Amino acid sequence: MVERIKPPRMRLPRRIKKDDVFKVKVRFEHPSFTGLGMVDTETMPAFNRAVPVTFIRNMLVYYGEELVTRFNMTSAIADSPLFTFKLKAVKEEPITVAFINNKGERWEVSTDVKFTT
Amino acid sequence: MNRIFSVLSLVVLAMLTTGGNVLAALTVEEFEIEGLISPASPKALSEALEKRLQVKVVDLNLKNSSTGWPLLSVEFDSDQLTRNDIEQAIASIEDPAGHTYRVHQGPAVVSAPLTDEEKAAIALFGSAPPNIQVLTNPIESTSESVARGKELYDNYCSTCHGLQGGGNGPAAHGISTFPGQLWVWNNADSSEDGYLFWFITEGGSDMPPWGVILSENERWDVINYVKTLTKPE
Repeated sequence: MVERIKPPRMRLPRRIKKDDVFKVKVRFEHPSFTGLGMVDTETMPAFNRAVPVTFIRNMLVYYGEELVTRFNMTSAIADSPLFTFKLKAVKEEPITVAFINNKGERWEVSTDVKFTT
Repeated sequence: MNRIFSVLSLVVLAMLTTGGNVLAALTVEEFEIEGLISPASPKALSEALEKRLQVKVVDLNLKNSSTGWPLLSVEFDSDQLTRNDIEQAIASIEDPAGHTYRVHQGPAVVSAPLTDEEKAAIALFGSAPPNIQVLTNPIESTSESVARGKELYDNYCSTCHGLQGGGNGPAAHGISTFPGQLWVWNNADSSEDGYLFWFITEGGSDMPPWGVILSENERWDVINYVKTLTKPE
């Protein structure tokens, strides 16, 4: 279980031409835990609260000012997930990805899209 | 004189044998523990705590505490130790899984209210996870109810979930998601009833919404039966 949260990182292809469909990769080191543990093996199932529940609840993607997609997650999400999605390069504006976890904390990462000729 | 001497020597002997605890102020306090995540954790914590401090672990209630957090009862001499000392000692003990324990402070933030940004996104892209109501099963889990549930289960559910609830019914091979292993709900707590009822009613992925076929009472009978399924040997 990851215990430290690090700022998210984003990666775009080096060359993006106008109207290309390109991949965006976002990595966020954040713990994910249902909060449950199984400590009593005599009865099945016997879960108890083990640690406070922690997970990334929402990922919001902005292209320029426009909100282009939303990822809605549960505690089933992996530790430090890597998200990959595709966008169409229609404008030279920054892509901003915002994460909000179940405690309402927010993180953000942003990268500019520049067209190559 | 001899009698006084013998009484005094008995008192001294008693103090020596009990480690001087005759006059000590022994108290028992409870600590809610975070970090017990594996079957090896409870023993590891109790042993390590008794090794580090002059304390006795009286009880470790894993399942029946009012808050849901495991409750550790520790007996200690309040003249020599404070609650804070014990909390610090607990925080320094390492679990076999490789992290440290912690004494739980305050209520757990399970889910903070949605932020304005999230609400705006929900308005744009559709609803958030379903709001599952807390429901109480109106049908008592009697042998009649379980028998009714079994008949319905065998007719409707077993083709995918299997007769034993192992998720390996004959139709399970033809669908893209593996059907749930229902024996995990064996003796499930009544707080899970709302979720089970919602899932059976609404369906999910490849499971049809049984709310359109089964009546409410029939769905509760099925829930009563599912809770009796046991893990196949």
